[in-house]
Amino acid sequence: MMAGRVLDLALHLLDRQIIDTDGNPVGNVDDVEIDESGYVEALLVGPQAVAGRLGGRLGEWLAFWTRVLQGGTEPTRIPVDLLTDLGSHITVARSRTELGAHRNEDRAREYLIGRIPGGRREGE
Amino acid sequence: MKRLLQVFLGVLTAIGGFVDIGDLVANALVGARFGMSLAWVVLVGVVGICLFAEMSGRVAAVTGRGTFDLVRERLGVRAGLLNLVASMLVTFLTLAAELGGVALAIELATSVNYLLFVPLVAFLVWFVIWRMPFEHMERAFGLLGLALVVFAVAFWKLGPDWGSMLHQASHPAVPDGEGHPTYWYYAIALFGAAMTPYEVFFFSSGAVEEGWTKKDLMIERINVYLGFPLGGLLSIAIAGCTWLVFMPAGVEVDHLDQVALPVALAAGKVGLAFVIVGFVAATFGAALETGLSTGYSIAQYLGWSWGKSVAPVRAARFHAVVLVAIVLGAMLILTTVDPIMVTEYSIVFSAVALPLTYFPILVVANDPGYMGEAVNSRLTNALGTAYLGLLTVVSLAAIPLMVATKAGQ
Repeated sequence: MMAGRVLDLALHLLDRQIIDTDGNPVGNVDDVEIDESGYVEALLVGPQAVAGRLGGRLGEWLAFWTRVLQGGTEPTRIPVDLLTDLGSHITVARSRTELGAHRNEDRAREYLIGRIPGGRREGE
Repeated sequence: MKRLLQVFLGVLTAIGGFVDIGDLVANALVGARFGMSLAWVVLVGVVGICLFAEMSGRVAAVTGRGTFDLVRERLGVRAGLLNLVASMLVTFLTLAAELGGVALAIELATSVNYLLFVPLVAFLVWFVIWRMPFEHMERAFGLLGLALVVFAVAFWKLGPDWGSMLHQASHPAVPDGEGHPTYWYYAIALFGAAMTPYEVFFFSSGAVEEGWTKKDLMIERINVYLGFPLGGLLSIAIAGCTWLVFMPAGVEVDHLDQVALPVALAAGKVGLAFVIVGFVAATFGAALETGLSTGYSIAQYLGWSWGKSVAPVRAARFHAVVLVAIVLGAMLILTTVDPIMVTEYSIVFSAVALPLTYFPILVVANDPGYMGEAVNSRLTNALGTAYLGLLTVVSLAAIPLMVATKAGQ
């Protein structure tokens, strides 16, 4: 849907907030996948992708701990044809569950927040 | 009528919420050692916080995004991370100082050692964040914090020589027996206390939590432009009280009970009761704000869902960060480190971190692609740029002055 638009990668895509169809934050654009001819194919979300961009010791350290804690999982990949809007944030035509971008959130919920009395109540 | 009441309550909340442990300690210390000769710093600080709080609130209302969301986007992942780590260390130190401040204020009322209250205070801070709706939380502690107005009453009753006070404030000079480096060191501490970065993290994220839109900008501006300066006057009244009581005797202020003493002298037991309520409310309220700010900032940098307006299980990582920050803050105070010293360090390091917070806000508030018609006016830009220069100087001077004066001794 957004194919063919010319964007400054660093200014308009990288590090922008991604919002799913339900208005929930999915994550930031941690990196992008580019095909041979230079077109952006997909947005990548997750610490694995951040580690690559951070580089240096810090990047290695993050990559190591992500492997230890999450196994050999790949970053979440969001193909560009799923993007519906590019503004102060990026909107995606899927829910974050469908994208599979919520593993750590699930853990925090299961092991900590969901167990505290009142954690499962509605928002205000 | 309802709207008028809303504005009125908003302004009162902003006044009561302006002062925190950093302002209390910095102003009391400065008043006792430098009298009114540093009052101008509070003025400069208040103008600065008004300018940038308004900008960050406007950005939040127009784009629906908090400060650290923008920090990462503008500075990139690496510089953004450095910024996050530095800002969070300062905010964490401030959180610990506020927790210690609440416990010290309860010690004032009960004469029971403050350390015994720290775990309870930490639990209550977490519990209020966990259960109390955002608007009630902000309003309750802001309004109770108004009890600190008793400092203004006490200052008036202590009967200063108004002429000499105005002269001191308008012709600042380093008092006898104090060196220039210490004078400037305390100027920076006072400035850091007035412009503490967490205030804008909280202010902008709170605006998103409350779902502000462009329609709310007028109310936002009234709150900021009226509430913060009146809060600043309250800070000056605190400095004025310690000036009148301690400076003639050559006594330095390094305990919270000394901050309360001038009020007890001038307004008796009732005054003291007000001071204690005000101390507890101001520090507790700021503990809530700093605790939330750590969660807001980290979640925004990493793109997580955050905030009190969604169900806790839907912002699980955000709540986990807040919980861990409060527990660690309480542990830092439980090491028996002096909370007043933690406060002094937190405000000086705040001063160091100032440009980190305010530079990205200025850049984004100035970007028409983001802000549309609500972009900065020329005047705001000129002021913002001038302040950014000032903040950079303050930031660079803070650590050398701290070393040179052995933290103001």
